Amino acid sequence: MILRRRRRAAIASKLWWGASLLALFAVIAVLLSIFWFVAARGFPALRPAILTTVTAGTSGGLLNAIAGTFLLVISGMVMVAIVGLGTAVWMVEFASSRPRALVRFAIDVLFGVPSIVVGYSLYVALVEGLGWGFSLVAGALALAIIMLPYVVRNADLALSAVPRDLREAAIALGARQATAAVSVALPWAVPGILTGFLIATGIAVGETAPLIYTAGWSNFLPSFAPTHSPVGYLTYVVWTFISLPFTASHELAYAAAVLLMLIIFVTNLASRTFVEYYAQKTHRR
Amino acid sequence: MTSIERGRRSGVSPEDPLVKGLARAWGLQRPWAQLIFKLGTGTTAVLSALVVVLICVFLTVFAWPAIRFNGWNILTGTIWNIGNQYGSGSITHNGYSAEPGAQFGGLVFIFGTLATATVAMIAAVPLAFLVSVALVYRVPARIRPLANALVELMAGVPSVVYGLWGMVVLVPWIGTKLAPAATAHLGFLPIFHGDAGSGNGLLAASTIIALMVIPIMVATIRDVINAQATSVYEASMALGSTSWQAVTRAVLPSVRNGMIAAIMVAFGRALGETMAVLMVCGAAINTYPQNIFQSVNTLAAVIVSQLESALTDSSGMAQRSLAELAVVLFAITVVLNMLARGILRGADRSQEAQ
Amino acid sequence: MSSIQDMITMPSESTDLPSVEKLAVEHLDVYYGAFQAIKDASLSVGENCVMAFIGPSGCGKSTFLRALNRMHDLTPGARVQGHVRLDGEDIYATGTDPVFIRHRIGMVFQRPNPFPKSVFENVVYGPRIHGIRNRKQLMDICERSLRRAALWDEVKDRLDRSALDLSGGQQQRLCIARCLAVDPEVILMDEPASALDPIATSKIEDLIGVLKTDYTVVIVTHSMQQAARISDHTAFFLLGEIVENGTTSSIFTKPKDQRTEDYITGRYG
Repeated sequence: MILRRRRRAAIASKLWWGASLLALFAVIAVLLSIFWFVAARGFPALRPAILTTVTAGTSGGLLNAIAGTFLLVISGMVMVAIVGLGTAVWMVEFASSRPRALVRFAIDVLFGVPSIVVGYSLYVALVEGLGWGFSLVAGALALAIIMLPYVVRNADLALSAVPRDLREAAIALGARQATAAVSVALPWAVPGILTGFLIATGIAVGETAPLIYTAGWSNFLPSFAPTHSPVGYLTYVVWTFISLPFTASHELAYAAAVLLMLIIFVTNLASRTFVEYYAQKTHRR
Repeated sequence: MTSIERGRRSGVSPEDPLVKGLARAWGLQRPWAQLIFKLGTGTTAVLSALVVVLICVFLTVFAWPAIRFNGWNILTGTIWNIGNQYGSGSITHNGYSAEPGAQFGGLVFIFGTLATATVAMIAAVPLAFLVSVALVYRVPARIRPLANALVELMAGVPSVVYGLWGMVVLVPWIGTKLAPAATAHLGFLPIFHGDAGSGNGLLAASTIIALMVIPIMVATIRDVINAQATSVYEASMALGSTSWQAVTRAVLPSVRNGMIAAIMVAFGRALGETMAVLMVCGAAINTYPQNIFQSVNTLAAVIVSQLESALTDSSGMAQRSLAELAVVLFAITVVLNMLARGILRGADRSQEAQ
Repeated sequence: MSSIQDMITMPSESTDLPSVEKLAVEHLDVYYGAFQAIKDASLSVGENCVMAFIGPSGCGKSTFLRALNRMHDLTPGARVQGHVRLDGEDIYATGTDPVFIRHRIGMVFQRPNPFPKSVFENVVYGPRIHGIRNRKQLMDICERSLRRAALWDEVKDRLDRSALDLSGGQQQRLCIARCLAVDPEVILMDEPASALDPIATSKIEDLIGVLKTDYTVVIVTHSMQQAARISDHTAFFLLGEIVENGTTSSIFTKPKDQRTEDYITGRYG
């Protein structure tokens, strides 16, 4: 009896492990097929002219969208760098437990807010309400809000993980609280903080929904005017141009998709390499 | 200055660089700089906390006329009609007016949101668990970094790229192969009964959502297993269980909280996903899907797809009603977040009690 | 345990010298929330003396030590009552800046805790935050401090390498050098050798013997042998109280309190 039950359990075990490996292969296969799909259609479409000319109606190039994506993400990044890092530093270094829990809760909720809700509220408040029109600032602010929880949570975790005795060493040498935070805690936490920034960058590069009604779309190179001047970006091209009935616009959509994947791939790789290098260089304990 | 600040051990001259240094300390070390630093970071924290409040306030204030005009119809009504833009006069309700014939029922979208997300989660949760345990216990250590990197890369693929793939590969396949076959042979099951549709619809949307949330869940579950369940797995094996029994009876219970957290985050993502869903859902208005292949629409997708036509509503009520839908979506995700916290806290407490 | 008593003879000579009072602790209470960790402790430390705190773990000796340079200011929920006088001035008096206190009373911790920076940057951390920018001056301070900490010869060729590349004992001497670089008058040491091997421990002990010519040293140790080897005065802590304090030789050879005798003869854990 027991023997038979054992044998049955052993067979069940094998079958389930088989199923789990199958699931893993299936997921990776779908992922690779998506990569292949994007690469096979995107790279042929990626003619040099696409990188050097702007969009003309439903064809032309993507220079405006590439420049716009970088401009929006970098501007959003600058906003979130200050606010997000400041928030995390305050939570870890200065806040007492109740206000800290409150801010943490707000950040957690923000994590769950769908990006289209962020985009539409900024549309209502800035684009319509303040009359800024589709603009760089509205788009960048939308991205900054999307990035904020990623930046804050990672910085929060990284700063909280700074060994207590390092902080104490600094304090015992006469450092004040903020001095210890800036000179000891922040450098120690750099890899974690940077991971948050790079994850956030990847997310921001790939966002569409919050930008449609804040940044708008433009066929021209971004003007750098903060308001009243729409900005183009890559994800818009993928979404809109694939639905148009022209081969040229389809090519642009695929080219934009492959560019997006490349940017995200490079960001991902760069962050891993840097974090690994930095961690190895500084934390050997 | 008290004498503690001045009093130095005799033999150290007041010209000692350290003594002079104390008087004019490094920038940030000065007390007023400390205060500014603390106030500055505090201000940023207040800003961060306010973001979510402001989003809610902006939307609610903007949607207020619609909230008054629509009443409960936004939650119970099925018809979304911005009204006759060329007719004369207008209809008024609770003091707010819209074009004649206008009604803004959101139930179709609420249903679509919950349906796509739920179907996606039914597929994604078991798959994500299987993938996670395979990654932790069965993938050889040599290629594990590669597999992990692939999973993380998958989480980073933009939603429009998933949407693009869905539109060009998945939807035609469902529309021409899967759906006709399923409705023809398995039509006796209610979920396959009826018109096969074009491929754009509930199944396509749910599949894409599932693909998008699986890597998010796998990353979390994998980390939780690695952090919390290594010893129980070995302990269970040492007691003579099969390795799969160790997974279901030892690992799964000990990562339950992590699983719940991962599922809640993924469910929130599934409810709010916009672009990929919009590109494959068929953007139905005023109808419910009769089977799993037919068109649906979600709250997030309808905000994008209907805004352009809403802008033509000269009374502005359509735009405000879309904002009201955004408020509903916001409320659903916040409630979900609270629920997750409640479950996790309850689980913590019951564990403490044991 | 008789070996401890054998060891005493050497330092006892110096303890009979009259010395100026450097630190005076009067009726000190420390609370963590509702828990009272230190009960009405009073103590006096002479200038250029080595004072050792001994006692079983959890007896409050580390808590007491940390009260001497206001480290409890950082612990949420910790409260200190009573007076700690440095050269007669109360360091807990209102308006006294803890930064100046910590500048004059340095601290070395149980585990070596160098910053993840270069050796040089570790040593000059204090001077730097206190406003010294001049590279030449910083270099002088660095060399002087490392020499005093008996580490210069071992690290002079790798000042720019990460401090974390050093061995545990070197790291701890680096931490001492880092503490010396701000030129304190009193050095507090919280079991500075407990994480180190015997050879590194003896180097630290030798160093303490040298340091006392320029500084006043207060050291917490869990090892009675260590206290006997290096200290002039010893205080015995039990359950948050100072049971007995006096010259090291008297504590170890003719303790007045029964509990002290029980402890040094090994009857407590």
